[in-house]
Amino acid sequence: MSAALLQLSGLSGGYPPVSVFRNVNLTITGTEAIGLFGPNGHGKTTLLKTVAGLLDPWQGEILFAGQRLNSEGSMRARISRHLNYDLFRRRKIRARDVVRAGLIYVMQGNLLFPEMTVGEVLDIAQRAASGRQGVGEMRDTVHDLFPRLRERWQSKIRFLSGGERQMVSIAVGLLALPRLLILDEPTLGLSPKLRLELAESIARIRDTKVPLLVVDQNVEFLTDLVDRLYLFDHGTVTAEIDKAHMPSHDEILAMMFGSGQ
Amino acid sequence: MAFDTFVFILVSGIVLGGLYALMAVGLAVVWTTLDVFNFAHGAFVALGAYVAWQVTQFAPGPQGFVFATLAATIFMFVVGFLLHFCLIKPFERSPNIVLLAVITTLAASSIMESSIQLIWGPREKQIEAAVSGRFEFFGAGIGANDLLALVVALAALAGLALFLRRTSTGRAMRAAAQNREAAELMGFNVAILFAVALGIAAATAALAGAFIGSLRFINPTFGADPLMKALVVVIFGGVANFTSPIYAAFILGIIESFSIYYLGLYWAPAVLFALMIAVLIVKPEGLFGNRQKTL
Repeated sequence: MSAALLQLSGLSGGYPPVSVFRNVNLTITGTEAIGLFGPNGHGKTTLLKTVAGLLDPWQGEILFAGQRLNSEGSMRARISRHLNYDLFRRRKIRARDVVRAGLIYVMQGNLLFPEMTVGEVLDIAQRAASGRQGVGEMRDTVHDLFPRLRERWQSKIRFLSGGERQMVSIAVGLLALPRLLILDEPTLGLSPKLRLELAESIARIRDTKVPLLVVDQNVEFLTDLVDRLYLFDHGTVTAEIDKAHMPSHDEILAMMFGSGQ
Repeated sequence: MAFDTFVFILVSGIVLGGLYALMAVGLAVVWTTLDVFNFAHGAFVALGAYVAWQVTQFAPGPQGFVFATLAATIFMFVVGFLLHFCLIKPFERSPNIVLLAVITTLAASSIMESSIQLIWGPREKQIEAAVSGRFEFFGAGIGANDLLALVVALAALAGLALFLRRTSTGRAMRAAAQNREAAELMGFNVAILFAVALGIAAATAALAGAFIGSLRFINPTFGADPLMKALVVVIFGGVANFTSPIYAAFILGIIESFSIYYLGLYWAPAVLFALMIAVLIVKPEGLFGNRQKTL
C-alpha cells in the first residue's frame, strides 16, 4: 500500500477558547481527488486553515508525505495565563513549513492582494517557488487553464470579477507546485455560468494529476469531480463515500439532516 | 510681497516638504504594513542624525558627509530591523496590539533619546554640509545644501517606490501588507518582511535626520518636532497610496513656510494642526486617501 499523502489523526482545534472541530481523521493518498462537503459554519474552513498552518492545532497530528507538520503535545497544556505565551511558544505549526512541504491551501473567497496587479501577484508566486523543478511548465499550464488572466495582466486585483479573482487564487496555488492543492469553496458567490466554467478548469487541474482536496456546497459539482467524498458535520468527519456509491444531492441531505418528510 | 521673497518662501517650503515626505513615507510604510503607529520614528531621525555627526567627526569634508549619510542609513536600517523583533513581533497576536505598540515604541523612543544624551551629551551640534554657498534663482538666494537635501529626498523616495513596485522583495512586502494570511500561505516569511519594513522606515528617518542636522542644529530630543509634522502629513494626506503622503508633505511644507512668513514661527504649527482637523472633519480618510490603506 502506498503511503498516505496527507493524514490527519485525532485533530482538534478552533479559536481559543472556542473549540470548532474535534477528533478529525482523514487520509488522502497521492492519486485521488477528495471532496469535503458539509453545512456552513461547521468548521470546514477552520480545519483547513489549521492544516495550512494559519491556526495552531489543539491536539492530534498532521502528517504530510511522511513528515510531521505540527509539533508534539497538546496546546492546552502549554497555555500560561500569567506569561506572554506568544513570546515563549514555539509555534505548533508554521505556514511556511507547510507550503515548503507542498501542501497548498487556496483560501475561501480570498481577496488576495487588492492593490497589486495580476502580473505582480503571479510573478511573486512564481519567484517564491523558483529554483524548483517544473516552474516553467506549471506557468504554461496556468496560462493554458486561465487565458483570461493574460488579458487582465495589468489590472489590480480589486477591479477583477469574483470569478477572475478565484482564477488568480488558484493560479497562485498552482504556481507553488503543490503536492496537494486544497481549494476552499472555489465556486462561492459565482454566477451559475462562471461556476460551470470554473468547475471545468478544476476538472482539468485534476486531469493534470495534481491531487486535490475540494470543499464545496454544491454536491453535483463535487460528485462529478472527486473520487471520494467526506461528509463533515458538527465539527468532525461523519462519513466517507466512494466513487461507486456517490449519492445524489437529496440523498446526501437526507444522510446529514435526516429525511425530513 | 516682492517676487523674490515669494520664490524664496516657495522654495524653502518645497525643501521642507521634501524632508517631511521622507519622514512621512517611513511612518506610512510602517503603518500600512505592521498596522501600528511608530512613535519611535522621531528618535530614529535623531539617532540617525547623531550617527551621521559622529562619522563626520572622523571624516570631514563633502566626501565625509556622503559617507556619514550612507553609514547612518545602513546603521538605522539594522536598528529598525532588530527593533521589530523587540517592539512589535512579541505582541502581534494580542488583541491590544495597537495600544501595546504605542507604549513599546514610545518606550524605545525614550530609551534612544536618553542614550543619545548619555553618549553625545545635551549640547547642540551641527553636521558639516556637503555643499555650501548660495545661488540666484529668480532673484532669491537659494542655499545649495537646501537643494541637495531636496534632490536626495526625491531620489530616495523614487528609489523606495522602485523597490516596492519592481523588486520581488518589495512586491512580497506589499503583498504581506495587503493580506497577511495570503502572504503566509504563499510561503513568505512575514516576520522578516515586516522587519524589513521597519528597517526601511528607520533608514529613511536617518537620511532625513542627516540632512536636518546639516540645515540646522540638532539636540537629543529634536526628533519630536519632525515626528509631529510627519504625523500631520500622514493624517492630512492619507495612506491609500505610496504617493499620497508625498503630495501632502509638499503641500504642508509650502503652507508652513508661508504661515511662518505671514503669521510668525509660533503660529505655524497651529495652522498645520487646524488644517489637519479641518481635513479630518471633511474627509476622515485623508486628502488623497480612500478607505483602504495599502502600501
